Amino acid sequence: MKKRALSVIYMFLITLFFASLVSAVKLMNDKRIERNQIQRIQQIILRVLEIPTQEQTSEQELSQLFADHVKEIDVEERTLYIGYEQDGQTIRGYALPVGGPGFWGPIQGMIGISPDATRVLGIAFFKHNETPGLGGRITESWFADQFKDLPLHPIEGDQNIFYLKPEGTAQASNELDAITGATNTSSAVEAFLNRELDFFLKELWVSVEEKE
Amino acid sequence: MPNLPLKKEIFLTGLWKDNPVLRQILGICSTLAVTNLMVNTLVMDAGLIFTVCMSSLTVSLLRKHTPMRIRMMVQTLIIASYVIIVDIMIKAYLPDISEALGPYVALIITNCIILGRCEAFARHNPPVASFIDGLGMSLGYSLVLIAIAFIREPLGFGTLLGFRVLPEGFVQWTVMIMAPGAFFTLGIMVWIMKYFRPQTKFGEEKG
Repeated sequence: MKKRALSVIYMFLITLFFASLVSAVKLMNDKRIERNQIQRIQQIILRVLEIPTQEQTSEQELSQLFADHVKEIDVEERTLYIGYEQDGQTIRGYALPVGGPGFWGPIQGMIGISPDATRVLGIAFFKHNETPGLGGRITESWFADQFKDLPLHPIEGDQNIFYLKPEGTAQASNELDAITGATNTSSAVEAFLNRELDFFLKELWVSVEEKE
Repeated sequence: MPNLPLKKEIFLTGLWKDNPVLRQILGICSTLAVTNLMVNTLVMDAGLIFTVCMSSLTVSLLRKHTPMRIRMMVQTLIIASYVIIVDIMIKAYLPDISEALGPYVALIITNCIILGRCEAFARHNPPVASFIDGLGMSLGYSLVLIAIAFIREPLGFGTLLGFRVLPEGFVQWTVMIMAPGAFFTLGIMVWIMKYFRPQTKFGEEKG
Protein backbone atom coordinates (compact mmCIF):
# COMPACT_ATOMS: atom_id res chain seq x y z
CA MET A 1 0.00 0.00 0.00
CA LYS A 2 2.75 2.36 0.96
CA LYS A 3 4.61 1.47 -2.21
CA ARG A 4 1.59 2.23 -4.32
CA ALA A 5 1.13 5.63 -2.72
CA LEU A 6 4.79 6.35 -3.29
CA SER A 7 4.42 5.56 -6.98
CA VAL A 8 1.51 7.94 -7.29
CA ILE A 9 3.34 10.74 -5.53
CA TYR A 10 6.46 10.11 -7.60
CA MET A 11 4.50 10.19 -10.85
CA PHE A 12 2.71 13.33 -9.75
CA LEU A 13 5.93 15.14 -8.91
CA ILE A 14 7.71 14.11 -12.06
CA THR A 15 4.74 15.10 -14.22
CA LEU A 16 4.60 18.45 -12.46
CA PHE A 17 8.28 19.01 -13.13
CA PHE A 18 8.21 18.12 -16.81
CA ALA A 19 4.92 19.87 -17.49
CA SER A 20 6.37 23.03 -15.96
CA LEU A 21 9.53 22.66 -18.00
CA VAL A 22 7.61 22.29 -21.25
CA SER A 23 5.29 25.18 -20.36
CA ALA A 24 8.25 27.40 -19.59
CA VAL A 25 9.87 26.63 -22.94
CA LYS A 26 6.56 27.24 -24.66
CA LEU A 27 6.01 30.55 -22.89
CA MET A 28 9.51 31.70 -23.70
CA ASN A 29 9.03 31.05 -27.39
CA ASP A 30 5.33 31.82 -27.82
CA LYS A 31 5.87 35.40 -28.95
CA ARG A 32 8.49 34.37 -31.40
CA ILE A 33 6.34 31.62 -32.92
CA GLU A 34 3.40 33.99 -33.19
CA ARG A 35 5.61 36.62 -34.83
CA ASN A 36 6.91 34.03 -37.26
CA GLN A 37 3.37 33.17 -38.25
CA ILE A 38 2.21 36.75 -38.74
CA GLN A 39 5.31 37.54 -40.71
CA ARG A 40 4.85 34.47 -42.82
CA ILE A 41 1.27 35.41 -43.71
CA GLN A 42 2.26 38.99 -44.46
CA GLN A 43 5.06 37.75 -46.67
CA ILE A 44 2.70 35.43 -48.48
CA ILE A 45 0.11 38.16 -49.04
CA LEU A 46 2.79 40.43 -50.46
CA ARG A 47 4.05 37.62 -52.65
CA VAL A 48 0.68 36.67 -54.14
CA LEU A 49 -0.05 40.35 -54.79
CA GLU A 50 3.33 40.59 -56.51
CA ILE A 51 4.51 43.41 -54.27
CA PRO A 52 8.27 43.00 -54.42
CA THR A 53 10.10 42.31 -51.17
CA GLN A 54 13.86 42.19 -50.92
CA GLU A 55 15.47 38.99 -49.82
CA GLN A 56 17.01 40.75 -46.85
CA THR A 57 13.94 42.73 -45.81
CA SER A 58 13.99 43.08 -42.05
CA GLU A 59 11.01 42.35 -39.84
CA GLN A 60 10.13 46.05 -39.40
CA GLU A 61 10.52 46.81 -43.09
CA LEU A 62 8.22 43.96 -43.92
CA SER A 63 5.45 45.06 -41.59
CA GLN A 64 5.92 48.64 -42.84
CA LEU A 65 5.65 47.50 -46.45
CA PHE A 66 2.59 45.51 -45.53
CA ALA A 67 0.96 48.44 -43.73
CA ASP A 68 1.66 50.74 -46.70
CA HIS A 69 0.32 48.47 -49.37
CA VAL A 70 -2.30 46.20 -47.89
CA LYS A 71 -5.67 46.86 -46.32
CA GLU A 72 -7.73 44.19 -44.63
CA ILE A 73 -11.50 44.12 -45.17
CA ASP A 74 -14.26 41.75 -44.16
CA VAL A 75 -16.75 40.75 -46.80
CA GLU A 76 -19.53 38.29 -46.17
CA GLU A 77 -17.75 36.91 -43.12
CA ARG A 78 -14.56 36.37 -45.06
CA THR A 79 -11.34 38.28 -44.67
CA LEU A 80 -9.98 39.77 -47.84
CA TYR A 81 -6.80 41.75 -48.36
CA ILE A 82 -6.70 44.62 -50.83
CA GLY A 83 -3.30 45.41 -52.25
CA TYR A 84 -2.51 48.95 -53.40
CA GLU A 85 0.09 50.34 -55.77
CA GLN A 86 2.87 52.66 -54.57
CA ASP A 87 0.50 55.66 -54.71
CA GLY A 88 -1.80 54.07 -52.14
CA GLN A 89 -4.84 54.63 -54.35
CA THR A 90 -4.81 52.31 -57.33
CA ILE A 91 -5.80 48.77 -56.51
CA ARG A 92 -3.16 46.25 -57.42
CA GLY A 93 -5.16 43.18 -56.63
CA TYR A 94 -6.99 41.19 -54.00
CA ALA A 95 -5.58 38.48 -51.77
CA LEU A 96 -8.05 35.85 -50.75
CA PRO A 97 -7.29 33.29 -48.03
CA VAL A 98 -8.41 29.93 -49.31
CA GLY A 99 -8.58 26.58 -47.68
CA GLY A 100 -10.06 23.16 -47.87
CA PRO A 101 -9.49 19.54 -47.02
CA GLY A 102 -6.27 18.05 -48.33
CA PHE A 103 -5.44 14.37 -48.31
CA TRP A 104 -4.22 14.16 -44.72
CA GLY A 105 -5.58 17.34 -43.24
CA PRO A 106 -6.70 20.87 -44.01
CA ILE A 107 -4.69 22.92 -46.47
CA GLN A 108 -4.55 26.70 -46.20
CA GLY A 109 -3.34 29.04 -48.85
CA MET A 110 -3.56 32.53 -50.24
CA ILE A 111 -4.49 33.48 -53.74
CA GLY A 112 -3.84 36.80 -55.44
CA ILE A 113 -6.43 38.02 -57.94
CA SER A 114 -6.11 40.87 -60.46
CA PRO A 115 -8.18 44.07 -59.78
CA ASP A 116 -10.64 43.25 -62.57
CA ALA A 117 -10.93 39.66 -61.33
CA THR A 118 -10.01 38.16 -64.68
CA ARG A 119 -6.80 36.42 -63.81
CA VAL A 120 -4.74 35.01 -60.95
CA LEU A 121 -1.72 37.00 -59.81
CA GLY A 122 -0.17 34.36 -57.67
CA ILE A 123 -0.83 31.62 -55.18
CA ALA A 124 0.90 30.23 -52.13
CA PHE A 125 0.12 27.47 -49.68
CA PHE A 126 1.25 27.97 -46.14
CA LYS A 127 -0.35 25.35 -43.96
CA HIS A 128 -0.81 21.69 -44.72
CA ASN A 129 -0.20 18.20 -43.40
CA GLU A 130 0.63 16.57 -46.70
CA THR A 131 3.51 14.10 -46.99
CA PRO A 132 6.83 15.95 -47.23
CA GLY A 133 8.31 15.45 -50.69
CA LEU A 134 4.99 14.32 -52.18
CA GLY A 135 1.81 16.28 -51.49
CA GLY A 136 4.02 18.67 -49.52
CA ARG A 137 5.39 19.88 -52.84
CA ILE A 138 2.35 22.14 -53.25
CA THR A 139 4.49 24.71 -51.45
CA GLU A 140 7.24 24.51 -54.07
CA SER A 141 7.53 27.43 -56.44
CA TRP A 142 7.17 25.46 -59.69
CA PHE A 143 3.71 24.35 -58.62
CA ALA A 144 2.56 27.77 -57.44
CA ASP A 145 4.10 29.60 -60.40
CA GLN A 146 1.86 27.77 -62.83
CA PHE A 147 -1.16 29.60 -61.43
CA LYS A 148 0.23 32.96 -62.50
CA ASP A 149 -2.03 34.54 -65.16
CA LEU A 150 -4.57 31.74 -64.98
CA PRO A 151 -7.74 33.16 -66.63
CA LEU A 152 -10.73 33.36 -64.30
CA HIS A 153 -14.39 32.95 -65.09
CA PRO A 154 -17.34 31.89 -62.95
CA ILE A 155 -18.05 28.18 -63.18
CA GLU A 156 -20.96 27.36 -65.45
CA GLY A 157 -22.13 23.81 -65.74
CA ASP A 158 -19.25 21.44 -65.15
CA GLN A 159 -16.61 23.64 -66.74
CA ASN A 160 -14.04 24.13 -64.00
CA ILE A 161 -11.80 27.19 -63.76
CA PHE A 162 -8.73 25.02 -64.04
CA TYR A 163 -7.74 21.39 -64.27
CA LEU A 164 -4.71 19.56 -62.96
CA LYS A 165 -3.20 17.18 -65.50
CA PRO A 166 -0.48 14.55 -65.01
CA GLU A 167 2.87 16.28 -64.68
CA GLY A 168 4.19 17.42 -68.04
CA THR A 169 0.96 17.01 -70.02
CA ALA A 170 -0.73 20.35 -69.28
CA GLN A 171 -1.50 22.09 -72.58
CA ALA A 172 -4.35 24.59 -72.51
CA SER A 173 -4.28 27.80 -70.48
CA ASN A 174 -6.66 26.28 -67.93
CA GLU A 175 -4.56 23.14 -67.51
CA LEU A 176 -1.79 22.89 -64.92
CA ASP A 177 0.64 20.19 -63.92
CA ALA A 178 -0.42 18.06 -60.97
CA ILE A 179 2.14 16.56 -58.59
CA THR A 180 3.41 13.12 -59.53
CA GLY A 181 2.92 10.65 -56.72
CA ALA A 182 0.43 12.91 -54.96
CA THR A 183 -2.77 12.29 -56.88
CA ASN A 184 -4.99 12.65 -53.84
CA THR A 185 -3.45 15.93 -52.76
CA SER A 186 -3.64 17.24 -56.31
CA SER A 187 -7.31 16.45 -56.73
CA ALA A 188 -8.10 17.88 -53.30
CA VAL A 189 -6.34 21.12 -54.21
CA GLU A 190 -8.08 21.22 -57.58
CA ALA A 191 -11.48 20.74 -55.96
CA PHE A 192 -11.27 23.36 -53.23
CA LEU A 193 -9.47 25.97 -55.32
CA ASN A 194 -12.10 25.77 -58.04
CA ARG A 195 -14.79 26.05 -55.41
CA GLU A 196 -13.20 29.00 -53.62
CA LEU A 197 -12.40 30.89 -56.81
CA ASP A 198 -15.93 30.41 -58.03
CA PHE A 199 -17.24 31.65 -54.70
CA PHE A 200 -15.01 34.70 -54.94
CA LEU A 201 -16.20 35.53 -58.45
CA LYS A 202 -19.88 34.98 -57.77
CA GLU A 203 -20.19 36.39 -54.25
CA LEU A 204 -17.25 38.23 -52.78
CA TRP A 205 -16.13 40.27 -55.71
CA VAL A 206 -19.59 41.65 -56.34
CA SER A 207 -19.76 42.86 -52.73
CA VAL A 208 -16.28 44.32 -52.95
CA GLU A 209 -17.18 46.26 -56.08
CA GLU A 210 -20.30 47.62 -54.43
CA LYS A 211 -18.28 48.79 -51.46
CA GLU A 212 -15.67 50.59 -53.53
CA MET B 1 32.46 2.55 -12.93
CA PRO B 2 33.07 2.14 -16.65
CA ASN B 3 36.41 3.41 -17.83
CA LEU B 4 37.28 5.20 -21.02
CA PRO B 5 37.75 2.34 -23.53
CA LEU B 6 34.43 0.88 -22.43
CA LYS B 7 32.71 4.15 -23.28
CA LYS B 8 34.25 4.10 -26.70
CA GLU B 9 32.94 0.57 -27.02
CA ILE B 10 29.43 1.66 -26.03
CA PHE B 11 29.57 4.47 -28.57
CA LEU B 12 30.76 2.28 -31.42
CA THR B 13 28.20 -0.39 -30.61
CA GLY B 14 25.39 2.05 -31.27
CA LEU B 15 27.03 3.76 -34.18
CA TRP B 16 27.90 0.68 -36.15
CA LYS B 17 28.05 -2.77 -34.52
CA ASP B 18 24.45 -2.79 -33.36
CA ASN B 19 23.23 -0.03 -35.58
CA PRO B 20 19.63 0.63 -34.54
CA VAL B 21 18.29 0.78 -38.09
CA LEU B 22 20.40 -1.78 -39.91
CA ARG B 23 20.88 -4.33 -37.12
CA GLN B 24 17.98 -3.84 -34.74
CA ILE B 25 15.52 -2.68 -37.40
CA LEU B 26 14.21 0.07 -35.12
CA GLY B 27 12.96 3.52 -36.05
CA ILE B 28 11.91 2.33 -39.49
CA CYS B 29 8.81 4.53 -39.70
CA SER B 30 10.73 7.79 -39.69
CA THR B 31 13.49 6.26 -41.78
CA LEU B 32 10.99 5.63 -44.54
CA ALA B 33 9.14 8.89 -44.06
CA VAL B 34 11.68 11.70 -44.07
CA THR B 35 14.53 10.42 -46.20
CA ASN B 36 13.33 11.66 -49.58
CA LEU B 37 14.86 15.07 -48.89
CA MET B 38 18.25 15.57 -47.27
CA VAL B 39 17.23 18.78 -45.45
CA ASN B 40 14.33 17.06 -43.71
CA THR B 41 16.58 14.13 -42.88
CA LEU B 42 19.17 16.36 -41.20
CA VAL B 43 16.60 18.16 -39.05
CA MET B 44 15.02 14.86 -38.07
CA ASP B 45 18.47 13.54 -37.14
CA ALA B 46 19.22 16.57 -35.01
CA GLY B 47 15.88 16.24 -33.24
CA LEU B 48 16.40 12.57 -32.60
CA ILE B 49 19.98 12.95 -31.36
CA PHE B 50 18.84 15.55 -28.84
CA THR B 51 15.87 13.50 -27.70
CA VAL B 52 17.69 10.18 -27.34
CA CYS B 53 20.66 11.67 -25.50
CA MET B 54 18.59 13.75 -23.11
CA SER B 55 16.02 11.02 -22.47
CA SER B 56 18.69 8.42 -21.76
CA LEU B 57 20.50 10.84 -19.49
CA THR B 58 17.35 11.74 -17.56
CA VAL B 59 16.12 8.18 -17.24
CA SER B 60 19.55 7.18 -16.00
CA LEU B 61 19.66 10.00 -13.44
CA LEU B 62 16.30 8.93 -12.06
CA ARG B 63 17.01 5.19 -12.31
CA LYS B 64 17.53 4.63 -8.59
CA HIS B 65 14.36 6.44 -7.59
CA THR B 66 11.84 5.44 -10.25
CA PRO B 67 9.53 2.69 -8.97
CA MET B 68 9.76 -0.35 -11.22
CA ARG B 69 6.05 -0.63 -11.91
CA ILE B 70 5.62 2.89 -13.28
CA ARG B 71 8.93 3.16 -15.11
CA MET B 72 7.40 3.02 -18.61
CA MET B 73 5.05 5.88 -17.78
CA VAL B 74 7.93 7.92 -16.48
CA GLN B 75 10.06 7.17 -19.55
CA THR B 76 7.27 8.11 -21.93
CA LEU B 77 6.65 11.32 -20.04
CA ILE B 78 10.33 12.25 -20.20
CA ILE B 79 10.57 11.47 -23.92
CA ALA B 80 7.37 13.34 -24.74
CA SER B 81 8.60 16.41 -22.88
CA TYR B 82 11.83 16.55 -24.82
CA VAL B 83 10.06 15.99 -28.14
CA ILE B 84 7.66 18.86 -27.46
CA ILE B 85 10.62 21.07 -26.58
CA VAL B 86 12.29 20.15 -29.89
CA ASP B 87 9.03 20.87 -31.72
CA ILE B 88 8.67 24.30 -30.11
CA MET B 89 12.30 25.15 -30.84
CA ILE B 90 12.01 24.21 -34.51
CA LYS B 91 8.78 26.21 -34.82
CA ALA B 92 10.42 29.23 -33.23
CA TYR B 93 13.78 29.19 -34.95
CA LEU B 94 13.34 27.18 -38.16
CA PRO B 95 9.76 27.94 -39.25
CA ASP B 96 10.33 26.87 -42.86
CA ILE B 97 11.68 23.48 -41.89
CA SER B 98 8.85 23.09 -39.41
CA GLU B 99 6.39 23.55 -42.27
CA ALA B 100 8.22 21.03 -44.40
CA LEU B 101 8.40 18.38 -41.70
CA GLY B 102 4.79 18.81 -40.66
CA PRO B 103 3.77 16.20 -38.13
CA TYR B 104 7.01 14.23 -38.20
CA VAL B 105 8.74 16.16 -35.45
CA ALA B 106 5.97 15.44 -32.99
CA LEU B 107 6.13 11.83 -34.12
CA ILE B 108 9.74 11.51 -32.90
CA ILE B 109 8.10 10.33 -29.70
CA THR B 110 6.99 7.13 -31.41
CA ASN B 111 10.52 6.34 -32.51
CA CYS B 112 11.23 3.02 -30.81
CA ILE B 113 14.94 3.76 -30.56
CA ILE B 114 14.33 6.26 -27.77
CA LEU B 115 12.19 4.09 -25.54
CA GLY B 116 14.34 1.12 -26.53
CA ARG B 117 17.52 2.76 -25.25
CA CYS B 118 15.85 4.00 -22.06
CA GLU B 119 14.51 0.56 -21.29
CA ALA B 120 17.46 -1.53 -22.47
CA PHE B 121 20.37 0.60 -21.35
CA ALA B 122 19.72 3.82 -19.48
CA ARG B 123 17.75 2.35 -16.61
CA HIS B 124 20.62 0.04 -15.60
CA ASN B 125 23.59 2.28 -16.33
CA PRO B 126 25.17 5.46 -15.00
CA PRO B 127 24.31 8.81 -16.64
CA VAL B 128 27.48 9.41 -18.64
CA ALA B 129 27.48 5.92 -20.13
CA SER B 130 23.77 6.28 -20.95
CA PHE B 131 24.36 9.59 -22.63
CA ILE B 132 27.14 8.09 -24.74
CA ASP B 133 24.99 5.11 -25.58
CA GLY B 134 22.23 7.48 -26.71
CA LEU B 135 24.70 9.49 -28.74
CA GLY B 136 26.08 6.40 -30.45
CA MET B 137 22.67 4.98 -31.23
CA SER B 138 21.22 8.24 -32.53
CA LEU B 139 24.30 8.95 -34.62
CA GLY B 140 24.06 5.42 -35.99
CA TYR B 141 20.46 6.12 -36.91
CA SER B 142 21.43 9.46 -38.45
CA LEU B 143 24.19 7.87 -40.49
CA VAL B 144 21.80 5.39 -42.08
CA LEU B 145 19.17 8.06 -42.76
CA ILE B 146 21.72 10.29 -44.42
CA ALA B 147 22.92 7.38 -46.55
CA ILE B 148 19.36 6.63 -47.65
CA ALA B 149 18.59 10.28 -48.37
CA PHE B 150 21.84 10.43 -50.33
CA ILE B 151 20.40 7.78 -52.65
CA ARG B 152 16.76 8.83 -52.66
CA GLU B 153 16.96 12.57 -53.20
CA PRO B 154 19.24 12.48 -56.27
CA LEU B 155 17.33 9.61 -57.89
CA GLY B 156 13.90 10.96 -56.98
CA PHE B 157 14.38 14.68 -57.55
CA GLY B 158 17.75 14.93 -59.31
CA THR B 159 18.92 17.19 -56.51
CA LEU B 160 20.90 17.00 -53.28
CA LEU B 161 20.11 19.49 -50.51
CA GLY B 162 18.14 21.34 -53.19
CA PHE B 163 21.07 21.67 -55.60
CA ARG B 164 20.80 19.94 -58.93
CA VAL B 165 23.30 17.08 -59.09
CA LEU B 166 21.97 15.10 -62.02
CA PRO B 167 21.52 16.59 -65.52
CA GLU B 168 18.29 18.40 -66.39
CA GLY B 169 17.12 15.65 -68.77
CA PHE B 170 17.37 12.95 -66.09
CA VAL B 171 14.11 11.04 -65.73
CA GLN B 172 13.23 11.20 -62.05
CA TRP B 173 12.44 7.93 -60.32
CA THR B 174 9.15 8.81 -58.72
CA VAL B 175 9.19 5.55 -56.78
CA MET B 176 12.24 6.85 -54.89
CA ILE B 177 10.20 9.76 -53.51
CA MET B 178 7.53 7.43 -52.24
CA ALA B 179 7.67 4.92 -49.41
CA PRO B 180 8.46 1.89 -51.63
CA GLY B 181 11.69 3.56 -52.73
CA ALA B 182 12.70 3.83 -49.10
CA PHE B 183 11.80 0.19 -48.49
CA PHE B 184 13.97 -0.94 -51.39
CA THR B 185 16.90 1.23 -50.40
CA LEU B 186 16.72 0.21 -46.75
CA GLY B 187 16.22 -3.44 -47.64
CA ILE B 188 19.30 -3.47 -49.84
CA MET B 189 21.34 -1.80 -47.09
CA VAL B 190 20.24 -4.34 -44.48
CA TRP B 191 21.09 -7.11 -46.91
CA ILE B 192 24.58 -5.76 -47.60
CA MET B 193 25.16 -5.31 -43.87
CA LYS B 194 24.07 -8.90 -43.18
CA TYR B 195 26.25 -10.21 -45.96
CA PHE B 196 29.42 -8.58 -44.74
CA ARG B 197 28.80 -8.88 -41.03
CA PRO B 198 26.63 -11.87 -40.29
CA GLN B 199 24.96 -11.84 -36.89
CA THR B 200 27.34 -13.28 -34.30
CA LYS B 201 26.11 -16.32 -32.45
CA PHE B 202 26.03 -14.76 -29.01
CA GLY B 203 23.70 -11.81 -28.89
CA GLU B 204 26.27 -9.11 -28.24
CA GLU B 205 23.68 -6.33 -27.97
CA LYS B 206 23.38 -6.05 -24.31
CA GLY B 207 22.75 -3.37 -21.91
